[in-house]
Amino acid sequence: MNKWVWLLLGVSCWMAAGFALCGPGQGQASPSAAPPAPPKRIVSMAPDLTEILFALGLDKEIVGVSQYSDYPPAAKEKPSVGSFWQPNIESIVAAKPDLVVASTTVGFTQQKRLAMRLARMGYNNLTLRLETIEQLFEAIEQIGQATGRRQQADEVVRDIKSKLQKLSSQVGAGKKVKVLWVVQREPLRVAGRDTFVNEMIGLAGGENATGRTVQIYPPIGAEQVIASGAEVIIEPDMGQQDLKAQQESAFRYWSRFENLPAAINKRIYVIPGGAVSRLGPRLYEGIETIAKCLRPHLFES
Amino acid sequence: MRAETMDQLLRPRKLIVTTALALGVLLIVMLACSLVGSEDISLKAALSSPGAIPGANPDHEIFMRVRLPRIVLACLVGAALACSGVIFQALLRNPLADPYILGISSGAGLGAIFAVVAGLNWTLWGRSPVAVLAFAGALGTVWLVWFIGGLTGKFHVTGLLLAGVVVNAFFSAVIMFLTSTAKSDQVYSTIFWLMGNMAEEDFLVLWVGTGCVVGGIIALFFISPQLNALSFGAEDARSMGVNVVKTRTIAFAVAAGITAIAVSLSGLIGFVGLVVPHAVRLVFGPDHRLMIPLSAIVGAIFLVVADTLARTIIAPAQLPVGVVTAIVGGPVFLILLVKHSRKMGWLR
Repeated sequence: MNKWVWLLLGVSCWMAAGFALCGPGQGQASPSAAPPAPPKRIVSMAPDLTEILFALGLDKEIVGVSQYSDYPPAAKEKPSVGSFWQPNIESIVAAKPDLVVASTTVGFTQQKRLAMRLARMGYNNLTLRLETIEQLFEAIEQIGQATGRRQQADEVVRDIKSKLQKLSSQVGAGKKVKVLWVVQREPLRVAGRDTFVNEMIGLAGGENATGRTVQIYPPIGAEQVIASGAEVIIEPDMGQQDLKAQQESAFRYWSRFENLPAAINKRIYVIPGGAVSRLGPRLYEGIETIAKCLRPHLFES
Repeated sequence: MRAETMDQLLRPRKLIVTTALALGVLLIVMLACSLVGSEDISLKAALSSPGAIPGANPDHEIFMRVRLPRIVLACLVGAALACSGVIFQALLRNPLADPYILGISSGAGLGAIFAVVAGLNWTLWGRSPVAVLAFAGALGTVWLVWFIGGLTGKFHVTGLLLAGVVVNAFFSAVIMFLTSTAKSDQVYSTIFWLMGNMAEEDFLVLWVGTGCVVGGIIALFFISPQLNALSFGAEDARSMGVNVVKTRTIAFAVAAGITAIAVSLSGLIGFVGLVVPHAVRLVFGPDHRLMIPLSAIVGAIFLVVADTLARTIIAPAQLPVGVVTAIVGGPVFLILLVKHSRKMGWLR
């Protein structure tokens, strides 16, 4: 069994050498870039972050965006650095960024790992959590601070807040409209209570027809649809689909629920997804769109 | 064919020369693949000094800290999966066997998804909870299957296989339960993991991984003569003086160990462990002393090439490498099968 002893010895030596050379706490501290003031080359790792950066007037500083960063239109012209799910670290490094903005929403281990890797390589990065409207305002302020655009950030936030205030007085404190927010039809999936969509519906003078659920975007059955008593059904379009065609198919699909108020009154709306599927500076536009669906008569004039 | 005649078939010189040649090919492939990527880099800039601040010499950073680690990782995972495929095919005497057949995949998947769903947030030597729990899940499952297989009789191969299939199905069901009750956005990050995904790793992780995988492959090479005997069946092997229980235990433990390491490094990459051993056997013959080192090297080459395709085809986006191994591996294997099986005539 001599060779086995040698093998064990060899592997042990190899491991020991590894831990001695680059064990925890050694060789990890790359020379960190001096915090540049303010950054000149910014890479955005998520579409919503791209929107915030553009809203702060950082068009020139952005040198890379994640795939599907499609708003504002200028974002499409920026070089892509891989998708949100699968960031391409090679393209990020090649863009020579001095600030990488990433999103660490729960469960997205890819972005967290990316941030860790970049930090270890000495790149400056800012990771943000974007799940609630409150966090959106915080994120805008944080990005403003990191990019030397505090003033613009304050303005953007103030603008959204004042518009929202105006909307809430316009909508009034009347009865809340029950809304079923459909993300996907087959299988049927709707927005639950722990979503920013839920908040948006509330601000637009509505109420989520779905109760508390385990999942964020719960799949539901016909029984729950009927029980929800939804007065309005909203389907954001997902991407390139033809709005009109989707509207027609929505009427067809929902007509099977004969006793659902939304189906009886034909209050089924297919709306453009951009502003409502993403938590960004277009928040007000999104909420206004929803408010128009809930109380069309208020906006007719 | 008896073991004595097989001794004559393989001279040490042939083994050394073939292995050295294969290693040479591997090195060339590694070098070639390290020069391909979504960004064009120059080798000269890549090999010069990194520069004082990050971003001063992006070529160097891309080459040394992004591409090379990833290529080394692909080598390790490919070698580990291919070798353990050889072992499982030999021990279970089943051409359909692959490293995942005894439930390693679902056990590892269960661990990984549990880590994501539970929202664990710590690191162990730079490894994420997903990797650590996947490793633990893989080893735990193999032990469970081994234990159940033992209960069915004196390591009856059929009992072991059935235990593996059932445990696999059960854990898959648990995985589906967890994913369907998970918050929807958590599920996405596990989907990529389940499809097999390469990422750049720390130096230490690669170093330790190399030690374990290379050590494991050498250990398997040590028992390759006994494996040759075992492939005739347990009874024949025993009559040739092979300690069947001991050989099987060592082979299973080592193969499961290196598979668990591979899975925890890169998720579930299919096809390598099934196709590479068959391809090597078709071309070089069924002698395990040659098959183990060659499968390791061919597996490494295969996965390095597949991963290079995965990160370049739709650049700057990337494909999960498991998609590429299946799409590329399938047709290549079929060609080999048709071309060589008639010539060799041993597949009958």
